[in-house]
Amino acid sequence: MDLTGEFHVALPREAVFEALNDPEILGRCIPGCQSIERVGEHEFDADVLARVGPVKARFKTRIAVSNLNPPESYTLSGEGRGGAAGFASGSADVSLEAADDGTVLRYTARVQPGGKIAQVGSRLIGGTARKIGTDFFSRFVEVVTPEPPPEAGKPDEQEE
Amino acid sequence: MADNGIGASVPRTEDQRFLTGTGDYTDDTALPHQTYAAFVRSTHSHATFTLDTSAASGAPGVVAVLTGADLAADALGTLICGWQVTGKDGEPHKAPAHPVLAADTVRHTGDAMAVVIAESAREARDAAELVEVRYSPLPAVVSMQDALAEGAPQIHADAPGNLCYDWEIGDRAATDDAFARAHHVARLDLVNNRLIPNAMEPRAAIGDYKPATGDYTLRLTSQNPHIHRLVLAAFIQIAPEHKLHVIAPDVGGGFGSKIFIYQEETAVLWAAGKVGRPVKWTADRSESFVADAHGRDHETHVELALDADGRFLGLRVSTLANMGAYLSTFASCVPSYLYGTLLQGQYTTEAIYCEVKAVFTNTTPVDALRGAGRPEATYVVERIVDQAAREMGIDPAELRRRNFIPSDAFPYPTKVALEYDSGNYRLALDRALDLAEYAGFDTRREEAKSRGKLRGIGLSAYIEACGIAPSQVVGSLGAGVGLWESGGIRFNPTGNVLVYTGSHSHGQGHETTFAQLVSDYLGVPFENVEVVHGDTEKTPFGMGTYGSRSLAVGGSALVKAMDKVIAKGRKIAAFSLEASEEDIEFGGGNFTVAGTDKSMNIAEVAFSAYVPHNYPLDELEPGLEETGFYDPANFTFPAGTHVCEVEVDPETGVTEIVHWVAVDDFGNVVNPMIVEGQVHGGVAHGVGQALLEGCAYDADGQLLTGSFMDYTMPRADDLPDLTVETTCTPCPHNPLGVKGCGEAGAIAAPAAVMNAITDAIDSSAIDMPATPQAVWRALGG
Amino acid sequence: MPVNVSMNVNGRAVVEEVEERTLLVELLRENLRLTGTHVGCDTSQCGACVVHVDGRSVKACTMLATQAHGADVTTIEGLADNGKLHPMQEAFRENHGLQCGFCTPGMVMSALDLVARNPDPTGGEVREWLEGNLCRCTGYHNIVKSILAGASAMRGGS
Repeated sequence: MDLTGEFHVALPREAVFEALNDPEILGRCIPGCQSIERVGEHEFDADVLARVGPVKARFKTRIAVSNLNPPESYTLSGEGRGGAAGFASGSADVSLEAADDGTVLRYTARVQPGGKIAQVGSRLIGGTARKIGTDFFSRFVEVVTPEPPPEAGKPDEQEE
Repeated sequence: MADNGIGASVPRTEDQRFLTGTGDYTDDTALPHQTYAAFVRSTHSHATFTLDTSAASGAPGVVAVLTGADLAADALGTLICGWQVTGKDGEPHKAPAHPVLAADTVRHTGDAMAVVIAESAREARDAAELVEVRYSPLPAVVSMQDALAEGAPQIHADAPGNLCYDWEIGDRAATDDAFARAHHVARLDLVNNRLIPNAMEPRAAIGDYKPATGDYTLRLTSQNPHIHRLVLAAFIQIAPEHKLHVIAPDVGGGFGSKIFIYQEETAVLWAAGKVGRPVKWTADRSESFVADAHGRDHETHVELALDADGRFLGLRVSTLANMGAYLSTFASCVPSYLYGTLLQGQYTTEAIYCEVKAVFTNTTPVDALRGAGRPEATYVVERIVDQAAREMGIDPAELRRRNFIPSDAFPYPTKVALEYDSGNYRLALDRALDLAEYAGFDTRREEAKSRGKLRGIGLSAYIEACGIAPSQVVGSLGAGVGLWESGGIRFNPTGNVLVYTGSHSHGQGHETTFAQLVSDYLGVPFENVEVVHGDTEKTPFGMGTYGSRSLAVGGSALVKAMDKVIAKGRKIAAFSLEASEEDIEFGGGNFTVAGTDKSMNIAEVAFSAYVPHNYPLDELEPGLEETGFYDPANFTFPAGTHVCEVEVDPETGVTEIVHWVAVDDFGNVVNPMIVEGQVHGGVAHGVGQALLEGCAYDADGQLLTGSFMDYTMPRADDLPDLTVETTCTPCPHNPLGVKGCGEAGAIAAPAAVMNAITDAIDSSAIDMPATPQAVWRALGG
Repeated sequence: MPVNVSMNVNGRAVVEEVEERTLLVELLRENLRLTGTHVGCDTSQCGACVVHVDGRSVKACTMLATQAHGADVTTIEGLADNGKLHPMQEAFRENHGLQCGFCTPGMVMSALDLVARNPDPTGGEVREWLEGNLCRCTGYHNIVKSILAGASAMRGGS
């Protein structure tokens, strides 16, 4: 199944593109990411805790970036191996379009589960994948977007 | 009839323990010092792989991690297929090696690659997760059409084109000729959906090894412990037969799935020898879904040629049968000799030709499941008969009557290699129609219409072949085993009786039925008879329970043993009563000198046999114990008609079964209550197939219906109360006149349900399972 | 981290040290060797493991042993009175409500909870109640018959 999404980022395309290749940023955006390290120019290894329906597992995930066409598009793919829980592989074609106030990020993603995740979680994989995709890109937007100046007169939430 | 004799609905002896939670299922046993096994299974359907077991080996509680390489080092054999089918080309089927643990290539999800042995089940499971598997995925083939396509990925190097065999039966030329003469030809493409067996007790095994004696013991969920021992000894070569003791204790349902010799039980026995401690494995349900042999999975094109009066001139069938990734223990004979041979149905069809291609795919192996080939045959025949009836505007019951083999035509040689022994098909049909109030159906249909419901009625006039035999015939067709059965009778000195059977009870109630038989035949009180089964060190070598064979074959073996006991008893009585042996009559448990009141009860004879103080030992041996082996002259052929009435809600596609009638001819019946129960269960299995159960794989060979959340088992509210009756034409060639009842419902039901639905929705464009979605779509939704 | 749990099982006080992740069914089967309670699945669907906890039917595979701390637990082994079957057990025997026997303990325990809530159920109500109990052998026909007969016997009927 194809999952699609669209986000607005208040940064120029080049900056967005660069951030999408930054393991530190990726690590903060991948839901459940415990650690991430660069293992090649365009490859990263991440340790991800994820849950599909009743199956919860730690996925050793190899993330690769390909079809690089800076700053317009690239493909982000990942293959997570969750041991006895099975595996999930997926890829997302990401395109960046310059907009007046930043960049419009669009993606089309596919997910293929295997093993126990497919066996007992196949009904749930679509929803899970959609959530992971949405979480990833919305966090990405949050992480890379520059802090807006504090609004005058707004009470400090910390003191509540 | 005695209260507990043949024909009585005796409550079951075995129920006391089952109802009080004191049954003895394999998982209930804990051997001292036992370890636990957990399997590392493939998450890919087709891949080469390497393993790194170092982390698992060092994990807490781990005793051993064993792999295919360890198996190879021990030079163990591979799993076998016990029936060699010969194809059209005269070549034997392809039976590629099926390793006990895959060594470098996995061919279906769930294929076992390693087994972790640990101090506790939890530690074994935890450590199994630590086995590092590096897969190199290979392209998978899941559908049979894809597997046979030019250039398809090859699953086995020694099965070119993924073809296991291309087999045929019947007379092609005569069938072509019949079609040339036809007034009308009905055609259908049918899918017989893949089923997952799901006996409620998951498979389990405990292997044990005593180094001091070299003795192995395997306690497991088996329908045929002697077959397990034979294969594990002769082919896998873990231990010779006399050093291997196999016990199948209480077994929680089988339905075929516990016949087979699988990876896990084999590995557990071998591992027990490796670690020198008992090794226990109990499948969790998720494992059962991927590791128990599945059933059915046919794609069929069928054509029926009829003359202007609706007489069946010719039947032409072409079937693809899925074998899955490996050839399981009896997989090859299911879509051939248990399928093609049943296409005569109950009819005088003049010419029949059937060809079957058996195909390997990257899916769990497929083998016999309740009915095994015969449900598939009945489904094809009964669907096409209804299709023809609809197309020709003939009432389906009337069309069947016109074509039934008449009751005076038995024995009836079929066009597909069998000889039906006895039957009265019209009698069963007419009785079923009466019970179903067939004549008043139109009124009910109209009434349903007024409520916005579509009501339909469907018939299934099925035929079944039970007690596969004789050995000489099955041997000539490629079976690697004989299909006889054993039975032993041991009188104890105090006059009670131990009955040893090579059959195995896993729900069928043999402990009761066989005791009724022996009690009745020997005139011994029912409560003085104990039935022993499921233990290779207690019972004579026997073939086990499947194919509705136990009473027809195993019961007949007991009759042979009892006849020997009576013959011996007659000698003893003649000696004791000082009469001539010819003058001794046996009846009601007493040996009587004819025409006198001189008599000895069989219990007294038994006591005498064990206290032979004055026996002329050169003429009379002490003891009263005999064994019989029975090899039937033919199959038995139960048959009957089931009628299903449904209401379909056109808004939702939901089908409700509103009435079910089953009229079955099982020959003589020993325990009607148990027989009815077998019919109920079979019908539920068949209704499950027709309405609910559909095994689904995705295009990569991932099983998508791998739990009870996704694979719909029939539940209590999916079924109505069932009306069950029997007719009786006794089997003429076994001493009990019995036929077999365990599979009839599963054979009859799918066609009855689907004929009812196609009647309700007036369309045949629907396959099983007829889920609400499928029905709704067939209605144009 | 092992923890101590104590409960009353079939009228007997038990104290066991278990791992925190131990399920009630594991405590019953492995620690107490009450193997009449069966495990037929791993997704809480089949109902072979149904026991009573404080009088209510519970799938023992879906409850941690620690959650039953302090509770009264009844298993299939606790029903018969000195070898005399409970009326519901007797009804299953008389009506051939079991074949392989594997689902039976769960069926009986579940049936008793139904009858406790609804002493005179209809066949349809029995079928609906058994939504959480799977049987592969009987086609449910004789299970329903057994439960209706058992309910009747428990009401003091014939």
